[in-house]
Amino acid sequence: MNLQETESEKTFRASVRDWMGEHLRGDFEPLRHAHGLGAPGYEPALAKRWEQQLAAGGWTGLGWPRQHGGRELPLAQQVIFHEEYVRCGGPGRLGHIGETLLAPTLMAHGSPELQARFLPGILAGQTYWAQGYSEPGAGSDLAAVRTKARIDADTGEWVIDGQKVWTSWAHESDWIFVLARCEPGSVRHKGLVLLLVPLRQPGVTLQPIRQITGEAEFNEVFLDGARTEGALHLGAPGQGWAVAMYLLGCERGASTLGQQAHFKSELEQVMAVARRNGAARDPLLRQRIAHAALGLQTLRSHALRTSSDDAPPRAVSIGKYLWSNWRRSLGELAMEVLGADGDVANDDALRQALQRLWLVSRADTIYAGSNEIQLNMMAERALQMPR
Amino acid sequence: MDLSLSDEQQQIADSAATFLQEASAMPAVRAASESASGLDDALWRGIAELGWCGVHLPESAGGLGLGLGLVELVLLQEQLGRQLACVPFFDSVALAATVLRELPGSPLAQDWLEALATGEKRAALALTAGPVTAHCACARRTDAGWTLDGDWPQVGSAALADVLLLPAQGESGERLLLAVPFDAAGLQVQPLTTLDTTRRLAHVQCRGVFLPADHCISQGEALDVVLARTLQLGAIALAAEQVGAAQQCLDMTLAYAAQRVQFDKPIAGFQAVKHRCAQMLVVLESARSAVYGAACIADTAPDAATLLFHAAQARVAATEAAQFCAREAIQLHGGVGFTWEFDPHLYLRRAQASSQRLGTPSWWLEQVAAQLLDSPKETT
Repeated sequence: MNLQETESEKTFRASVRDWMGEHLRGDFEPLRHAHGLGAPGYEPALAKRWEQQLAAGGWTGLGWPRQHGGRELPLAQQVIFHEEYVRCGGPGRLGHIGETLLAPTLMAHGSPELQARFLPGILAGQTYWAQGYSEPGAGSDLAAVRTKARIDADTGEWVIDGQKVWTSWAHESDWIFVLARCEPGSVRHKGLVLLLVPLRQPGVTLQPIRQITGEAEFNEVFLDGARTEGALHLGAPGQGWAVAMYLLGCERGASTLGQQAHFKSELEQVMAVARRNGAARDPLLRQRIAHAALGLQTLRSHALRTSSDDAPPRAVSIGKYLWSNWRRSLGELAMEVLGADGDVANDDALRQALQRLWLVSRADTIYAGSNEIQLNMMAERALQMPR
Repeated sequence: MDLSLSDEQQQIADSAATFLQEASAMPAVRAASESASGLDDALWRGIAELGWCGVHLPESAGGLGLGLGLVELVLLQEQLGRQLACVPFFDSVALAATVLRELPGSPLAQDWLEALATGEKRAALALTAGPVTAHCACARRTDAGWTLDGDWPQVGSAALADVLLLPAQGESGERLLLAVPFDAAGLQVQPLTTLDTTRRLAHVQCRGVFLPADHCISQGEALDVVLARTLQLGAIALAAEQVGAAQQCLDMTLAYAAQRVQFDKPIAGFQAVKHRCAQMLVVLESARSAVYGAACIADTAPDAATLLFHAAQARVAATEAAQFCAREAIQLHGGVGFTWEFDPHLYLRRAQASSQRLGTPSWWLEQVAAQLLDSPKETT
């Protein structure tokens, strides 16, 4: 255990800060502190150019192996990058799904040809990916997917029919990875394939879904005879479930520490409003604010304790439940701090930020495995209680 | 930056667990907790022989010389809490020896420290959260030394101590720390009947106790700093004990749920039970992360505000974990959880008693709130 930064880590932190100071300005100024699609100033074309700027500066693929063009940085430096990035006002990362979910899965399960074809575009911020897992009838029960994939005997291409839902950023993405049933009559976890499918083609129709914030960050994706090349599957056809699960397992590690730097700025907004409107003197609210601040520090300690590959599995298993419930509580606290003003819209940026936090954070305990699914997994896998 | 245990640290934790599972098994805990003194004497001697009492002390005092050694102390505390070990390790080692370690200017303090480092002697420190002036105790300077009068209402493990370290007020309002040998004339240590029988408290009373001049081992602002620091380091050590207790509550519950059959299957298979066990895991593992993180930060010589923040973090998280897991353990054991024979109630008692020592969660939260909200600029 060691929480002190070494000299080289301090130097690294300074180099991130310097680079951000030099580059997050001028044309990119509107992106400062904009945490993602739907946030004011977050213009998708600009966000993509920013990703390319990051790539040119060597700030993508930090943890990737060198053979795939990554920098193979130790975990501590990845953590420092993510923290410093957010501290410097770095915007939400549009390339997140490609860089942190698909790329590691390509490295583990993709052929050298697929790796050579797709990894460079992800690394350079040129190619953007969407995730095609959930369906109207397959949410928590993902193994109930009904989207079908078959090989067209004439062309050798995959032909896909079905519907995906809750697909974040599909309208800004180039490709989608689709979990589909490739063996007719198969059930549950068997007979599935994970396909890489271009989004811009006649067989794909996108329909935005308006969410409780009023924004439309995610979509329904209709696949009606959508096509992709016969070789564009990850893992063997029929073995897609294992690959799909591997991909979900990539959603932890250093990137969650970057997310926490973002949470910290949200907590600071709550505190700023509390100081401004007197809620900071309310005996109950000030205790809840203190509790939230301590909880955030615990998220950080927990992430540092569980990021390495040999971390205790029981501790690892609680990560998503821990942060999502912390943040949802922060959203509730934000509205209590606003008080009656919370129900009134105006153009005060802080007020808008807290109102948005309250609504947005309701999704945290639902997506990427709802609270209930997380508890099932902790009980059955980490604690080995019977299914 | 890394919060995973080193191989050596993992070894300390594993060997402590192995030793205590045998040496402080439940029958021994029950026997000691029902005895007059509450002490498991054989266990204390075993711990002393293993050198645990000096884990956080410098080599000059007979300790291991691991720097602050708080991480190692925390790992031992965790296992002691898990087994509800009936020894005054927390009071004598984590609190009293820590305060003495911080007073290198006092020869008497150093003498006592050497005796504590081996486990040959034991001490108790009357430490509470908040200003020391809350003690109704005063010391008067005389030609030959000091005369001490006062009451310290609930001092942990005081009846087992060879020396009592008692904060008091001097005649001009300055704070003093006095070392009072257990056999000093005018000292009365009245054991209290406690609901948590695995760790005893006593009421300490001094009536005209005479002490030689060197028995005032620290005073003034320097002492204020040392006591505040000891409270924070002690809070982290106590939090570790609470994490260990929470772990045992989960383990007991899992074992029980796996063998208790209702509706023709083990109750561990019911989602209502599984989700509650998973929630115990969440509060337990997050509290463990908080405690390890705080111990690790403390070992890096942080400023006072940072140490306060992390002590609060450990203490609040671990208190919640110990209380939640003890309550859930009773509930999930069902009827037998309400019996004297089954162990969950021992953990409930310890969880409640510990939650009130060294500052309650609401006291710690208020310290953090003041730090974050009352100053114009945020300090952490």
